Amino acid sequence: MAVGPASIARPAPVAGRPITLRGLLEREGVFSWIMLTPGVLFLLAFVAYPFFYGIFLSLEEHPVARAGRFVGFANFVILAHDGVFWQVTRNTFMYVAVTTVFKLLGGFAMALVMNQSFRGRNLTRAFLLLPFIVPTALSTVAWMWILDPTFSIVNWLLVHGGVITSGYSWLGNASLAMWSLIVVNTWRGMPFYGITLLAGLQTISPDLYEAAAIDGATTTQRFLYVTLPVIKPVLIIVTMFSVIFTFGDFQLIYALTHGGPANATHVFSTWAFDIGMSGGQLGMGAAVALAILPALVVLIVGLTIYLRRE
Amino acid sequence: MTSRRDFVTVTLAAVGGALAPRWAGAAPKAMSVVHESSFIKAFDDFFVQKLAPEYEKLTGIKINYEPVSVGSMLTRLTTIVETKAGPEIVATGVNWPYLFDAGLVDVTDVANEVGKKLGGWHDNIYDAVVVNRKWKAIPWGNIGQLEVYRTDWFKEVGVNKFPDTREDLLAAGRLLKKKGHPFGFELGHGFGDNHGWLYPLLWSYGGREVDKDGKTVLIDSSETAKAVDFCRKFYQETMLEDVLGWTDVNNNRAFLAEQISCTNNAMSILIVAKRDFPEIGKVTDHGLNPQGPKGRFHLFNVQSHAIAAHAPDQAAAKAFLRWLYDDKQLSAWLVAGDAYYAPFLHGYDNHPMWNADPRYLPYKDCLRTSRLHAWPGPAGHQASESVAKYVLVDMFAKACRGDSTKDVIATAAAQLKQIYKAK
Amino acid sequence: MVGGHDLATRIRRLYLPLAAFLVLMLFPFYWMLITSIKPNRELYNARIMPLIVHQPTLKHYVDLLTETNFLTWTYNTMLVAVVTTAVSVVLGTMMAYPLARMRFPGAAVVAIGVAATYLVPQPLLFIPMSDIINRLELGNTLTAVMLTYPTLLIPFCAWLLMGYFKSVPRELEEAARIDGASRFQAMVRIVLPLCTPGLLSAGIFAFTLAQNEFLYALIFLAKSEVRTVPVGAITELIRGDVFYWGQLMAAALLGSVPVAIIYSFFVDYYVAGLTAGAVKN
Repeated sequence: MAVGPASIARPAPVAGRPITLRGLLEREGVFSWIMLTPGVLFLLAFVAYPFFYGIFLSLEEHPVARAGRFVGFANFVILAHDGVFWQVTRNTFMYVAVTTVFKLLGGFAMALVMNQSFRGRNLTRAFLLLPFIVPTALSTVAWMWILDPTFSIVNWLLVHGGVITSGYSWLGNASLAMWSLIVVNTWRGMPFYGITLLAGLQTISPDLYEAAAIDGATTTQRFLYVTLPVIKPVLIIVTMFSVIFTFGDFQLIYALTHGGPANATHVFSTWAFDIGMSGGQLGMGAAVALAILPALVVLIVGLTIYLRRE
Repeated sequence: MTSRRDFVTVTLAAVGGALAPRWAGAAPKAMSVVHESSFIKAFDDFFVQKLAPEYEKLTGIKINYEPVSVGSMLTRLTTIVETKAGPEIVATGVNWPYLFDAGLVDVTDVANEVGKKLGGWHDNIYDAVVVNRKWKAIPWGNIGQLEVYRTDWFKEVGVNKFPDTREDLLAAGRLLKKKGHPFGFELGHGFGDNHGWLYPLLWSYGGREVDKDGKTVLIDSSETAKAVDFCRKFYQETMLEDVLGWTDVNNNRAFLAEQISCTNNAMSILIVAKRDFPEIGKVTDHGLNPQGPKGRFHLFNVQSHAIAAHAPDQAAAKAFLRWLYDDKQLSAWLVAGDAYYAPFLHGYDNHPMWNADPRYLPYKDCLRTSRLHAWPGPAGHQASESVAKYVLVDMFAKACRGDSTKDVIATAAAQLKQIYKAK
Repeated sequence: MVGGHDLATRIRRLYLPLAAFLVLMLFPFYWMLITSIKPNRELYNARIMPLIVHQPTLKHYVDLLTETNFLTWTYNTMLVAVVTTAVSVVLGTMMAYPLARMRFPGAAVVAIGVAATYLVPQPLLFIPMSDIINRLELGNTLTAVMLTYPTLLIPFCAWLLMGYFKSVPRELEEAARIDGASRFQAMVRIVLPLCTPGLLSAGIFAFTLAQNEFLYALIFLAKSEVRTVPVGAITELIRGDVFYWGQLMAAALLGSVPVAIIYSFFVDYYVAGLTAGAVKN
């Protein structure tokens, strides 16, 4: 991307000129902060309190409707000794890792396919977004049918196609249940990757491809040396968001299995919700929810450094 | 727009009420009641269309009815109680009067009056709503969990009356599964139909989670082992694998799709069957939970009204409850509820609503043998935590999946010891 | 598309994968559609062929439209989504631009801080958040969610747009500034138009997330008349352990298909904002 040293392209420093309002506004620092202030203020006003409240809560023993008692890291110590916590940790990482890989690969393929011209392209693009548009609360209701062994259309097709004699229990079998949820999450999340990456592909100037073609680059080379570098920032950010959202994914699992059978599909968000809301242990619930904090902090800080490096 | 402005007034009152006593004396313009959206739509409608307007005409106080879906009710209550704002009157179920104890007003006076007028309260209701000798909620009825079965299929295998013991039910189930009519009892992470039969199962074999003191964990016992062994056999010989992943909706649908011949559920299956599938409705009936070696048990789900401590005018809220629990209002409301809610007042033991269908009667009969989750342990926060972590459900489910009785009990014992902070 | 590709290549590269994606992505919608037009007795009949409808009925749609406040919910949802999307995209753009393209003190802190708002999971945020809403006396108003959704969406838009802003070469902007454009003008006239697809995808996703949101809407919107589609449908069409399947699916379709059709017009601008022929493969 960077053609030539940045210092050449940059205009001469403003040092010698008299300070005018316009000159002031042209300074990177001033301009940046003017642009940033409204958003920063908004977020501070609405997120700062909840943010610190959440962290503080995790350090308390706080039964619902009672006053909390500060206990330091005791909640985390208890968790570290809880077998279910580690099961939930494994479930969460498996769920996030597998769905992210699926969504990334599938979404990229989807973007490449849709980056071609064909009739009805706009409508197709928009309809491929449907899984993402339809409220999750309602689409999971449809999946309840699709995955119910009695009514499962998948089972019906397999049985009537002669592949199996009796249907699988998609949500009742511990290992199948996790895979079923992975499929549903991938189904819902892939369009997000697909359309976002498509937008990234569209910002690539055709001149670059033409130039590469003139140089005799093959399709693979064009992909590796033209496409990939340009959409890398978008790709990375989309992945980061998807990872964060998937870590927090709640509704889908809560409605389909509620963490069952026997905790096989409980993840941090659903387990935290059960302990904090259904169990009334707000402090412990917060501690569970925050247990992924270190992983996410590493992710976000690493990404910020990467993106700001030039 | 008026209702919105009223709400703002109420919210204002709620915020200012705790600090400033200036609101005392002036009657509120409106109050809100938050309820779980009833399975019986007519029950909700009756409140909105009849009761609320009538009360407004009588007193000038507008009553807002805020329905919340069943699964979201605890979230809503937690928010109301923790932020000390929102509806003055909250509906509670299960052990919530204990869970939210500190955030609820003492309504003993109202309860005593209602009891006196309507023939007295059932004895065991005290366990469900009286916390430290104070009534924290006024119960209007219980949503019972009973055995729901297909009379025609049971007859086909020679069972003409619902089996009275666990072993007899198992025997019937074996025959029925062979005929292609398996049982379907929820063993997954739903909200009610799993606990609805598993706690009674444990109790009927003499097993207990924790003792009365709330400190001594009792789950590791030979009685529990017998219950677990029975459950595994019951699952393997009568059911489908899928029940391990079921939530509360699955057994209703499987029953109405004629996939299962028996399950444990509230009255909703029969009511939907009568409405949408009359020929299934004709061959559906209810039975009490079968006895085990140590007796017969059922699970409570007591529906009550409580007053939130932040209510700016508690006297007004109590006055509304007094009016609501007057025979004239309550009786008609329960009739609208089609006997889905079984009341705890002796004056209603022979209420006309029970005459609508003899198949409703077991829901009245089960009240005497009903207990709260975690009984005989205290019904407080730890009971909620155990329920929320599905300790008991998972113990049984893992055994059904094939884990050894010893292992599943050991895991449950470790979890319970952590919850009850026992050694 | 200069005739260089023969039909076989085109089938392999376009039609086959496209068909696969369409089937996988849209099958559940077919399922929703047939569920929404099957009478109850057919829905519960496990013995008949499930892929077709034997006696289609519009009863579920009629019930949805006449017995619930579905139209009001739809209006609320759209209003909330439009307002929050506008706020989020504008503020998100204003944050993303300097973060992606400028050097200034505090940049890294802001960038991390913005993303950090996602670190505390939503199931924890709503108690303090509803405390704020109560203090502002906004309970049961759409304003409540219009203020809270951007807290989720601004960081999302900002980060997403940072990626697109980064992909525009700096030289374009510098050239404009040498020609006398201010920083603001260079942003509005040069960089933003080039990032139209990015802005659109940020807008589309903000809109989608806003209309899907469940937890805040559940807590803040307690009356039927102020509810959004997901909360209204789940509250009033799931009663205890009984689901009104047909109506739920009708609500899912009526709530999403029109949105997809509207999106299809916007997707046009993915191309229109760019030089002609950009889609050439």
